Amino acid sequence: MKTLVGLSGLLMAALLLSGCPSPARRPSLPPPASPTPGPSSGGSPSMQVPPSAPAPRPPAPPRENHLSPATHSLVTQARALLSHGDFNGASSTLDRALHIEPNNPLLWIEMGRVRLVEGDAHQAEGCGRKALALASGDRSAQRQAGRVLADALRAQGRNPEAQAVESQPFMN
Amino acid sequence: MARSRARRRRLLFLLLLAAAVAAAAVALWMVHLDRVVTREFQGRHWSVPARVYAAPLELYAGAPVSADDLEEELRRLHYHRGDPSASTGVYRRSGGAFDLHARRVRFIDELREPQMVSIRADGSSITAMKQGDGTDLPVFRLDPPLVGSVFPVHGEDRLVVSPAEVPPLLRSGIKWIEDRRFDEHHGVDAMGVLRAAWANLRARRVVQGGSTLTQQLVKNYFLSDEQTFGRKATEAVMAMRLEAHFSKEEILIAYLNEVYLGQDGARAIHGFGLASEYYFAKPLGELDVGEMAMLIGLVKGPSYYDPRKHPDRARTRRNLVLQELGDAHLIDAAAAKRAAATPLGLKAPGGNYVPAYLDLVRRHLKRDYAEADLAAAGLAVYTSLDPRAQAMAELALTSNLKRLDAAGRVRGASLEGAVIVAEPNSGDVVAVVGGREAGAGGFNRALDARRPIGSLVKPAVYLTAIETGRYNAATIIEDAPVELKLGDGSIWAPQNFEHQTYGRVTMARALAESMNLATVKLGLDLGLPHVAETLQRLGLESAPVLNPSLLLGTVEMTPLEVVEIYTSLANGGFRARLRAVRAVLDEQGRPLKSFKMQVEAVAPPAAVYQLDRMLTLVTTRGTGRDAPIHLPRGTVVAGKTGTSSDTRDSWFAGFTGSYVAVVWVGYDDNRATGLTGAAGALPVWADTLAKLKSVSFEPVAPELLEDRWIGYGDGLETTAACSADAVLVSVPKDTVLPGKTGCNSSPPATAGDKIKAWLKQIIH
Repeated sequence: MKTLVGLSGLLMAALLLSGCPSPARRPSLPPPASPTPGPSSGGSPSMQVPPSAPAPRPPAPPRENHLSPATHSLVTQARALLSHGDFNGASSTLDRALHIEPNNPLLWIEMGRVRLVEGDAHQAEGCGRKALALASGDRSAQRQAGRVLADALRAQGRNPEAQAVESQPFMN
Repeated sequence: MARSRARRRRLLFLLLLAAAVAAAAVALWMVHLDRVVTREFQGRHWSVPARVYAAPLELYAGAPVSADDLEEELRRLHYHRGDPSASTGVYRRSGGAFDLHARRVRFIDELREPQMVSIRADGSSITAMKQGDGTDLPVFRLDPPLVGSVFPVHGEDRLVVSPAEVPPLLRSGIKWIEDRRFDEHHGVDAMGVLRAAWANLRARRVVQGGSTLTQQLVKNYFLSDEQTFGRKATEAVMAMRLEAHFSKEEILIAYLNEVYLGQDGARAIHGFGLASEYYFAKPLGELDVGEMAMLIGLVKGPSYYDPRKHPDRARTRRNLVLQELGDAHLIDAAAAKRAAATPLGLKAPGGNYVPAYLDLVRRHLKRDYAEADLAAAGLAVYTSLDPRAQAMAELALTSNLKRLDAAGRVRGASLEGAVIVAEPNSGDVVAVVGGREAGAGGFNRALDARRPIGSLVKPAVYLTAIETGRYNAATIIEDAPVELKLGDGSIWAPQNFEHQTYGRVTMARALAESMNLATVKLGLDLGLPHVAETLQRLGLESAPVLNPSLLLGTVEMTPLEVVEIYTSLANGGFRARLRAVRAVLDEQGRPLKSFKMQVEAVAPPAAVYQLDRMLTLVTTRGTGRDAPIHLPRGTVVAGKTGTSSDTRDSWFAGFTGSYVAVVWVGYDDNRATGLTGAAGALPVWADTLAKLKSVSFEPVAPELLEDRWIGYGDGLETTAACSADAVLVSVPKDTVLPGKTGCNSSPPATAGDKIKAWLKQIIH
């Protein structure tokens, strides 16, 4: 098996060095986010296409997540409710926003913050991890998600794990 | 003489004593009845069963709601076309432009006052929204639709109406037909009895009853159905006590909410509010004269005059009521005549009654509330139900089972099935169908049918493999005969479905084509405990038996449990607790309990992403190819078929970017169906999702992974142009893949990194 892998690697390297034309593949750049509002998410071009119509993938630009006008207004509302100590109200308002844009990491970050204020560190951790997974390629969202996650871990007394999150490259 | 006088005196004394005892007993009995009346009536008087609401439709620019969808939804919520400035509950539409006067409505988190809203929609979505004053409205939700109530076990259901909701004609009409002296009598009406007897004699049939409304109410509330003198006396006394303690208005409203008006399977239809919805699919306030007359006429004998079973009797009875109301000048005589000439106008009960979903709601709430509170405490329960998804799922199941039965090999038996639809990110359960008779209640297969899941278990095996870091979609595994000596000495020799072996195959293909032998070998290499542990992490509550046949899905689960597991896959390795109830409010609208969205990391997102991409191959290359047929071209779907041994169970579990749905099809008595997952359950899945607006399953790719083209069969790296057999899979970055000779395989990320990785691999 190892020789096979080695051989194939050699073959690959040979192909590479032969300088054949190919779409550029930048390692750190994930698929683009869909900036359009609505439930559609990701918009990744990297999914399976029917073999009959194969298309080369365009290089992926850096991702930046935004809130649509609808979710922006709900987040504003949730923050106001939270500042008045209405955790339930803030939580169910973000719930609405997440039904509109379930894959927007910014909303999971907001939800994680509400959970932290509520004192539910376990759920805050879940939100932080979910946000981090969705923030792939968006440094700013990754940093905020990492912050929520580290705080949630620390609130559970899991300091080494919190430090490990804080030492991730995206945290700087 | 003296002796006989003494005897007479003693007799008299005894008689007096007996009379006194009897009087005391009667007095005690009356006091007892009085207390029963006040206590019970007072208690129940102020109480209503929990009302259950579906999720409100959320509107915003870009929401996938077309102009026609919007109008349909408004009608379902009983909004009418008209001049919206005149009153709430009215809208105006011209093309894609709507002006809407929204009603006062309570949501989980706010009581929204009436407001004017302008909405623009095109053929596919909402384009813009403004408030009455012309300012932008970024997001707006419609009223949460009322879908029923959590009624007690003995099956009474009702929609309680307030005095303001009772139309004047219903008040006067019911009194005229059932109890003309209601406003004068004190609970019983001797004159009424005589007049009824006379009227019945004249008509030579029973046209009037002698019981007052109060007596009927007492009978419904407190007493059994037996017709004895004792019961009649009790009824009369209680009726009088009721009148002594409560106002006529209170008694009339209680009567209108209490009276029995029909039977829908196990559900008893009580009160005019629910009867109006049940027979005419609209609120009481919108009934016309004929409809109102039919309901009033129904009081006399809801099963004898059942308009669905005996339309002729119901019509005759309605027309008699119309004539009486006309004669009494309660309605215009000409109007009565016109109404009498119209058909009954029955409507299917709005597709609103969802016993299987309510069943899930009840179980959910039972953890926190006593059954009695649900039945009487006036709670408002806000659920995740999407009535549209529910209707689609019901229709998909019923129509496909009919078709399969007609084509089926089993004579004299009806296929059964279950469907559950959820939203993967929130875990919100949007539809539950517990059997082909969706409206009938009864055995709820979605929650209670525990069946072997067959190949639905396989993704857990492949996920376990990917999580080790030693396997990916391109890894070659062996599909070859397996023989295993089990603990009891027997030999286990599983087969592929087509009874052949495929030799060396990619993991991607083995999963897509559901190869049993390759999966068993892989699972045994990984270790049964690891596969079982994966299943439990994903959501299986109880530990499965560690038998090798676990790898082929002999483990039994309910459709609900399967949804739990597939939700974790659809949600990128995050377990979202399935949620039917979002919040419970008390009678005053104060929040009692909210069930928050739960999210917990249960599997590494990168591993789940790779598996999910393999599951999309199931629907493009494998056993689930027909899953996306009704969806817009190019919609990406991930899923898995499942067939248990001898085709006793046919399963399909799959997800788009919007929904995760699980379908089971089989016989209740567990006989073979002759249907694979693809033939039985999959068409139901495809039809259920056909008209729900789904986005593609296109999760965010983790940074650790990259897409590579490989040969579907041989796993060699290739290009789409080079090989018709090429499939795009996701593998960890820098994975070294053997290349296909003669193909310019697409090079990896950066040549330098690639060579470094390769050198590292050689040096090790």
